[in-house]
Parts: sequence; C-alpha cells; structure tokens
Amino acid sequence: MLPIDAVAHSSRWRHRHPVDKAVLGLGLTLLAISLPPWPGAVLVLLTALAVLLGPAGVPGRRLWRAYRVPLGFCVTGSATLLLQVGGPEGFLSLADGGPRRAGELLLRTSAASLGVLVFAFTTPMSDLLPRLVRAGVPAPVVDVALVTYRMSFLLLDSVRRIREAQAARLGHTTRAAAWRSLAGLGATAFVRAFDRAARLQAGLAGRGYDGTLRVLVPEAGVSVRFTAGSAVLLGCVAALTFVLKAFVLKGPLS
Amino acid sequence: MVPVSQETGQGASTIHEVLERVCSAMHIAEGFLPPAHAIAWGVASAPFVVHGVRSLTREVREHPESTLLLGASGAFTFVLSALKLPSVTGSCSHPTGTGLGAILFRPPVMAVLGTITLLFQALLLAHGGLTTLGANVFSMAIAGPWAGYGIYRLLRRYDAPLMVAVFFGAFVADLSTYCVTSVQLALAFPDPSSGFLGALGKFGSIFAVTQIPLAVSEGLLTVLVMRLLVQSSKGELTRLGVLAAGERAGTRTTGTGAVA
Repeated sequence: MLPIDAVAHSSRWRHRHPVDKAVLGLGLTLLAISLPPWPGAVLVLLTALAVLLGPAGVPGRRLWRAYRVPLGFCVTGSATLLLQVGGPEGFLSLADGGPRRAGELLLRTSAASLGVLVFAFTTPMSDLLPRLVRAGVPAPVVDVALVTYRMSFLLLDSVRRIREAQAARLGHTTRAAAWRSLAGLGATAFVRAFDRAARLQAGLAGRGYDGTLRVLVPEAGVSVRFTAGSAVLLGCVAALTFVLKAFVLKGPLS
Repeated sequence: MVPVSQETGQGASTIHEVLERVCSAMHIAEGFLPPAHAIAWGVASAPFVVHGVRSLTREVREHPESTLLLGASGAFTFVLSALKLPSVTGSCSHPTGTGLGAILFRPPVMAVLGTITLLFQALLLAHGGLTTLGANVFSMAIAGPWAGYGIYRLLRRYDAPLMVAVFFGAFVADLSTYCVTSVQLALAFPDPSSGFLGALGKFGSIFAVTQIPLAVSEGLLTVLVMRLLVQSSKGELTRLGVLAAGERAGTRTTGTGAVA
C-alpha cells in the first residue's frame, strides 16, 4: 500500500463521509488558487497544516515525506519566473518583478498542494471510488478504476520483488544489464497484470459475475455539523485575508 | 527506520532521489495554473475523455470480462510510470508510458486510463494535482497518446517494421507530451518582455535539454518491452490488435491489417 493511502486508512477521519473532507480539503485548495497569494495562500497553508497535524492526526514525518515531492516541483517551477528571455540586458536576464511573481506562485502552489493532502491523507481511495457512481461517473469506469487501484498494489509489489531478484543476479551492474533488466521488468509487469486479470475473470465467472463489481462501502452520512464548520473555517480564512490585505499588510507581495 | 519510497513502497528514498523525481516528473503541480487556465484545459480535455468513457462503457457492456482486462491495463500504466528510466545522458527519469499505452490500448481508452492514473498519482503520490488535472490529462492522456499513435499507424501503413514504428510512436508520444506542457506553462506565465513566444522558448529549451534524451530512452525501452511481449504474450497482443494472427515482429505486412 502506498504511504498516503496507508495513513488515510488509519486516519481519525477515516469513517467520515468523503464529502465532508472534500469540502474542507478541496475548499482550502480552491481558496489557495483564488485568494491573493499574500496573505491568502499563507493563511491557507497554515490552516491546512494545523488541520493535518491537529484534528486529522497525520504524523509529521509522513506528511513531510509526501509534501516534499510537490514542494520541490513548486520551487523549481517558480524559479523559472525569475528569468526573462530577450530584452535590453541580454538573451537571458533577471526578470523585472520576477522574485515577486515567483514568490506568489510558490505560496499559491505550496498551499494548494497541502489542501489536496488534507483530503488525500484522510480519505482512502477505496472509500472514494465506489461513491463516484452517485456523482455521475458511469459505473463501468468506476469498476475499471477499482480494479486498477487494487491491482496496482499487487503489481508494484511484484515489480519490487522482480527488481530485487534482478539486482541479486547482478542485473544492474552495467548499463546494458540495467536496460535488459528494465525491459524485462516492464514486460513482466504486463504479463502478470493480464495473467492476474484472466485468473480474476475465471474466479468471478465461477461466482456468477454479471459485469458489476459489488464492493462493501463503509456506511457514513454527510455530517452537516462538520461541513458547516468547514464552511465557516473557509469563510474565516477568506475574510481574514481581505482584512489583513486592506488594513494591516502593505508589503512587496500585496 | 528505512525511508519508504513514495512510488514503490521500498526503501532508499534519498533527497537526491526525490529531487531527481521532482525534476523529471513533468506533471503540472497543484495550484500552478491560474483558475481560468485550469478550467480551460479541463474543458479542452472533456470531449476526449467523454469519448473515451463512451467507448469504454460500450466495450464493458458488450464484453463484461473487459472490466478486468481494462483494470489490468490501468494498473500496468500506473506501474509503468513508476519505473525508473536510465537516460542516454546518464541521468534518470520515469517513462510517461503514453506511447506504449496508446499502441497497446488505443488513444480513446488511454484517455480514460490516463485520467484514472493521473487521479491516482495526484491523490496517492502527490504528483500533479486536482485543479491541474485537466491540463495534465490534455498533455499526458490525450496529446501524447494521439501523436504517438498517429506516427505509429502512419509508419505501419507504409510497411515500416513493427519495432521501428514502436520506437517512433513512443518517442513522439513522449516528446509531444512535453511540448504541450511547455505550451501550457508558457500560456499561463508569458515572459515579461517577449511574451508567449519567449516563455515557450524558455520552457521548451529547459525541457529540450532533458526530454529529447529521455524521449530516445523511452523509445528504446518501449522497443525492448515490445520485443519481450512479442515473444511471451503473442496472444494478448493479437487480442489487442497490435499483431495480426500469425505475424512476427519485424516482418513487413502487405497491408494495414497488422494494426487495428
């Protein structure tokens, strides 16, 4: 199981309805991209961090391991805005207002990423996917996504074992061997995926498979109290952003 | 305690590995695009995904057993994107898998499988994002597969050997994915002095340094994978329409029947 999903399965909010957590997590993401980055994105970032480490109970180390990946992309992506092409100072030069634009983008993306992590770290995929049918996604697509989700872990595990076996046979010692091993890995993943699908099909056929995959979904209702609390929190973040921007902060990013 | 890799669950996830992964994974990150651009790319992707969903739904209704094969295809695509690919320059990256996926499963199905994969990557790996899902779907699940499949079909039509067509299909799919990503970023962040074209040159040149060697690498890897598949999974390849019954890899066919 992948680390984010593993944490989601043991989350304190595991049994809450996905809509509850979507309102909060995706609401924070939407605020991050729509509010002025300074101070809006900072407030969103701090709020998301407080929610994740506080009531949601996500371990700090797990959060950092997951967050450093998008954060690294945010930093490298924002850095490109520091430069400009052409102009009087040469082919490549520092852009006017580049640091401000890069700073705003860095704040926006880092806050938005954390908002999505609020949802991801509290909602297992197995709770989310079956409920997408009610959201209007065709049932066959949801079934394919469910099979993809469940088979991905098995395949990733197979790939890990194959890679270990290849390494034990000195399959990564030279460049040519590494290429051969990688090609073997890709081909074996394909063969195992289709072999597993065929065996699943045979097993399901024996159980009267009629084309619909029925899975048990933990019962949970949308909590009016939780969603209302989330809406109030989001409203407070938005209001505080405009108050701070209008009356308190007049920095380079405002 | 050994750090756990985000992608494979195995150990040895160093900061170097993370940076390498970050620099090479060209998903547009969450919140990177302004809201108007995020919505516009979502709208642009929608017809292709809806078309794919209709094809997939029709296929599953007619052949219920296809659900499992399509799920296996989705899992294969997800796992393929997690493999580490040695570049010809000595660096390392992950294949997009769009070329091989399009050749095996066709672009309409890849639009759906790619969307599912990108959704999983956003929620399970924190790669990409939900607000940028439309943009990422357009580059990785639509433009890449269609461009790669187009070249593959064109070469097969003119009797090119299977492996030559596979190489160029994967190469073009990889490269076009990054070209579209460059356009998306340049539209969102035009250069202050030279506008869209300057930004396109900036993002394009950054990607070109890394992505042309990686596209070559992905083409070579796809050929190696396809050679092994031709040896071990001829039945599946025939069922998927990649091989005609009785065809051998590298043989020239007299018509277009070798590919569906």
